Amino acid sequence: MWRNSFAAEYLPAGGSLVHVDGVPFEFPPVCEGPDNIRCAGQFIKVPRDRYDWIHVLAASERRCEDTVELTFADGSVDAEPLRVSDFWAAPAWFGEVRAFESLAMHYPHHVQRGVPAVMWAQRVAVTRRADLTGILLPRNVAMHIFAVTLQRTEL
Amino acid sequence: MTVETTARTYMINGPEPELWYRDLISCLQATIGSVLAREGVDPLSVLGAGWRFLHLPGDVRHEEFYYPCLPDESGAIDLGTALAPHHALHARWWQPADEQDVWREVRASLAEDRLVIAAVDNFHLPFRPAYGDVHAAHQVVIYGLDETRGVVYVSDAMPPAFRGAVPIEKFLRSWNSENPTDVQDAFFSDSRIGRRCLDVRLDAVPAPLTPELLGGFLRSDVEDFTTAGPVRTGLAGFDQFAAELLDRCRANDAGALRELYPFGWAMQAQASLHGELLRRCGREWRDPALAGAGRAVETVAHAWTGLRFTGAHGLGDPRAATLDIAHHATLLRSAYARAVDAVGAVAARL
Repeated sequence: MWRNSFAAEYLPAGGSLVHVDGVPFEFPPVCEGPDNIRCAGQFIKVPRDRYDWIHVLAASERRCEDTVELTFADGSVDAEPLRVSDFWAAPAWFGEVRAFESLAMHYPHHVQRGVPAVMWAQRVAVTRRADLTGILLPRNVAMHIFAVTLQRTEL
Repeated sequence: MTVETTARTYMINGPEPELWYRDLISCLQATIGSVLAREGVDPLSVLGAGWRFLHLPGDVRHEEFYYPCLPDESGAIDLGTALAPHHALHARWWQPADEQDVWREVRASLAEDRLVIAAVDNFHLPFRPAYGDVHAAHQVVIYGLDETRGVVYVSDAMPPAFRGAVPIEKFLRSWNSENPTDVQDAFFSDSRIGRRCLDVRLDAVPAPLTPELLGGFLRSDVEDFTTAGPVRTGLAGFDQFAAELLDRCRANDAGALRELYPFGWAMQAQASLHGELLRRCGREWRDPALAGAGRAVETVAHAWTGLRFTGAHGLGDPRAATLDIAHHATLLRSAYARAVDAVGAVAARL
């Protein structure tokens, strides 16, 4: 909202494969254009399969929790919590992993030291033992998603 | 007592003020928290003890430190009573009485070894991210004044956090700013600073927090939440607030969303502190239901994020934002109802 942003020099290269706490993510493009999803009820189709966890790289404009709706091949839908701590100089309130930290924050007209911007690695549980087909993001513009990785069920 | 090192130098005794901060609070709670900590009082146990909802139509000011307060029977406003309804906390605004000597009261407070909370405009303060860029009403703590060297000693717990000297002339510009309308900050500009200061006093040392004492606080707050009154308090007050907010959005009234952001911050900060205190007590007293009630209250704080930021992002077209505002108002109302239920359940047996 305040047009603050991460400083690219503190982030991985755009399109690179990064590992956070053992979870691989494809890092989004680092460019002047869109590099994240601002949550507004978008639906993400996923390869149909059994999954245990949905891992996300995310940031939130203030500490926030909302729900994602998980759509399954059998027609069932489960709402599960998505919790993301503030990206603006804040602790991991929800026990997330600090994935990347920009030691300087970009403001519209200057670079601000001393106010770190944090991208969190959070996860959402898939409790239903059924094939997942899609994820409906919350209608919550405070939440920003940078990458998603699905962790298959170990059979 | 402070030591007056020169005729024009005043500094509090002992260490610099504590930078008391939580990520959902505003400068209001942070500055008062610093004052309480210096009194040897745990700020969370005072500022987190009460939890209320109050909306006063037409009252919201465009300041980070706005907090709704009802006047007492004499018509006086006591911000401390609103922030900490279960403690003898008093906070009243004042302004220098003598235009020719605006530091007189500050000197007197520092000479009594008391911190001073001052309203400022971030635009003029070199340590604020908005320096030279954005006008925004903010609060800081003054803990020293050296008129010989021409500096004021200021403490600010809000990120990036600062403690140190600021040139008097810069501080005076900030303290006396008109804080004009700034398109970069529709929420905290357009509110004259006017050299306001907040006098904060805790008249009695709080009694140690026990389950019985906390239970009384919680029962009082739950009653406030569940009893409809003449003003917008409790769940009924929230419903009135939300209905009016939606009506104003449908009418494309951007003023409704300009007010939502500072008002929501006040309610969000209070809920976050109350939730944290209940969780802490729940852990210390091995009471998982109390801790769970605290978490439910924190969910209220988190739901305020969705409403506040939906409003902020929708400022340019309030009518178009109406559906999403309604969505988040519904989520927030649900979070309030669940939290009041959870707090009520533990309050009944504490």
